[in-house]
Amino acid sequence: MKILKILAIALATACVGGFSPLAAAHGERAQMPQVRMRTVHWFDVTVSATKLDVNQILVVKGSFIPSDFWPTQFPSAEETAFLNIGVPGPSFVRLDSRVNGVPMIRSTSFHPELQYNFEITLKARKPGRYHIHPVINVKDTGPLIGPGLWVEIGGDQAAFTNTAKTLLGQDIDLESFGYANAVHWSILWAVVGVAWFVWWLLRVPIILPRFRRAAELGANADQMITLGDRRVALGFLVLTLSLIVGGYMYADDKWPITTALQAGKIAAPPAQRPAVPLDVRMNEARYRIPGRSFRVALTVTNRGSSPVTVGELDAGNVRFVNSSVLQVKPADADDLVASDALHVDGGPVAPGETRDIVVYADDALWETERMTTMIDSPDAIVAVMLFFYDGDGKRYPVEVGGPMIPVFG
Amino acid sequence: MSAVTTNTPAQVADFRHRLDITVDWLVIPLVIMLFAAVFSVHFALLVGDWDYWIDWRDRRWWPLVTPLALSVIPGVFGYLLWDRLRLPVGGTLTILALSAAAWVSRYMNFHGFGGFPMDMVFPSTFIALGLILDTVLVLTRSWFWTGLIGGYLFGALIYPLNWPLLAAYHVPLELHGNMLTVADLMGFEYVRTAIPEYVRIIEHSTLRTFGGVVTPLTAVFAGFLTVLSYWFWVWIGSLVSRTTWLRKII
Ligand SMILES: [Cu+2]
Repeated sequence: MKILKILAIALATACVGGFSPLAAAHGERAQMPQVRMRTVHWFDVTVSATKLDVNQILVVKGSFIPSDFWPTQFPSAEETAFLNIGVPGPSFVRLDSRVNGVPMIRSTSFHPELQYNFEITLKARKPGRYHIHPVINVKDTGPLIGPGLWVEIGGDQAAFTNTAKTLLGQDIDLESFGYANAVHWSILWAVVGVAWFVWWLLRVPIILPRFRRAAELGANADQMITLGDRRVALGFLVLTLSLIVGGYMYADDKWPITTALQAGKIAAPPAQRPAVPLDVRMNEARYRIPGRSFRVALTVTNRGSSPVTVGELDAGNVRFVNSSVLQVKPADADDLVASDALHVDGGPVAPGETRDIVVYADDALWETERMTTMIDSPDAIVAVMLFFYDGDGKRYPVEVGGPMIPVFG
Repeated sequence: MSAVTTNTPAQVADFRHRLDITVDWLVIPLVIMLFAAVFSVHFALLVGDWDYWIDWRDRRWWPLVTPLALSVIPGVFGYLLWDRLRLPVGGTLTILALSAAAWVSRYMNFHGFGGFPMDMVFPSTFIALGLILDTVLVLTRSWFWTGLIGGYLFGALIYPLNWPLLAAYHVPLELHGNMLTVADLMGFEYVRTAIPEYVRIIEHSTLRTFGGVVTPLTAVFAGFLTVLSYWFWVWIGSLVSRTTWLRKII
């Protein structure tokens, strides 16, 4: 089984050639809306700069909450996940990547309903204009892509530097470290290999005459190998084995202290956040196709001390904002924010009150972001993140989900 | 031309000799290109990322998977070249062709197009392994012994052969309170969106108490498996060589 899996992975990675331009385009639109809505809810994603030069630092920050409605057919982020960044190739190098302050150098687990605040520190390497997305790769599920923001790198890649210090105190340049050495060894072996071939090539023509001779001699064809051939072969064998042993001893002497490649998971602690003083139940969700209108009926109980209302609804990285509660402008032309697309029937829910409210999220983004394909899905369950705001402007994220019914008329 | 009627035996022999040379210069480059193409596809499918990235070349999986995949083409074509032409170049020539193609691909695709620094994606070296197979074949003129001695060394020596290229990348360093190797640091820093850290199939700690002897144990095991693999592929080569359609082609 394991071998099969290894083969499958090898095959899959060979097919994409080791890297794919996935993040270059808006690959997130290609994923089924259910996957986008029910895996990871991203919010507060920001970049520290939209224009910078080679060698300058970019910090990508934000938060996410894994969904409680995670489709059971996909392995969840609770098993093995990796916080990543979606950029086309190494246009940046990643200097640091943290979740709630803990470095995420290797893979980890993220649990549903818990909030994780991430901070990824990048150093600009290659000039260009890039749409940067935070990404969570989930083992056996795939990349879950967060909101994208445009960043432009100026300057000259030749000026890029990236150094590190080993535990032995050596300063190294990661752009070229060890490469000249590897090239020298590769050339050395190529020379020995070519020399062996040349020994046989020297007696050109070799194909037809040797073919005739071998056919003629039949079982005695070994006579074609001369004593000289055997001597040369012995010489090459001794040379080859000596070079391998010598090379190994050379390396052992030059790099006496080495260690194994590091693997194994790192634990990511969830963020501390204030308790949400709300009970929210989704009664129904309907999507009306002609109006591009998503309607959720909720029963909300406010156990807090301040009236609450819904200020924002997020569905698969698309943000529908209630402009009477908060003002959000899209950060750039491709930022998926509908600044005035949410309205609430049923007013604020007072402290101690239980009330039915209806939230409408109406915008063409449902269509343009291909969220409407949820109607045609074999699994018409949706989940959205609601952001309730109280009188003091305090925000409470609450995820609701359940079956969705399309309205065609 | 009326030359046919006036040719002396010496002229015929000379013409035939020149024809044989022409055939060589036409066929040999084509065969090398064929080796490069076939071997590259085969190697990409079976080894792929293990050899693409510096942070995949670990001491348990890479030295086991690589010789098994690497011994297929030298086995099949090695048999054909020996059986039909008594040319003991099947190991060296196929691996030389693979290396040439790998260098071009890493430089053009991974470095040029993908933007990765060459020190993260250069190919490992395997030419010595082909030389071992070919020279042992000349010395023993026996597939049994070539498989047993050559095949064993092929599997067992892949790691020490590459250690002069790889050791530098296994030097430890510290990143934000974690120990990493230089190779791990490159893997972390040079972003690969489609290749998250967990897809690396590399050595993990086990409860089996092999302690620090992972490398020699893997070498012995890889050597043993490569003997079987090489024999098997030589046998496949012998089947190919015996088929009548091939005789007709040649
Ligand atoms: Cu994008």
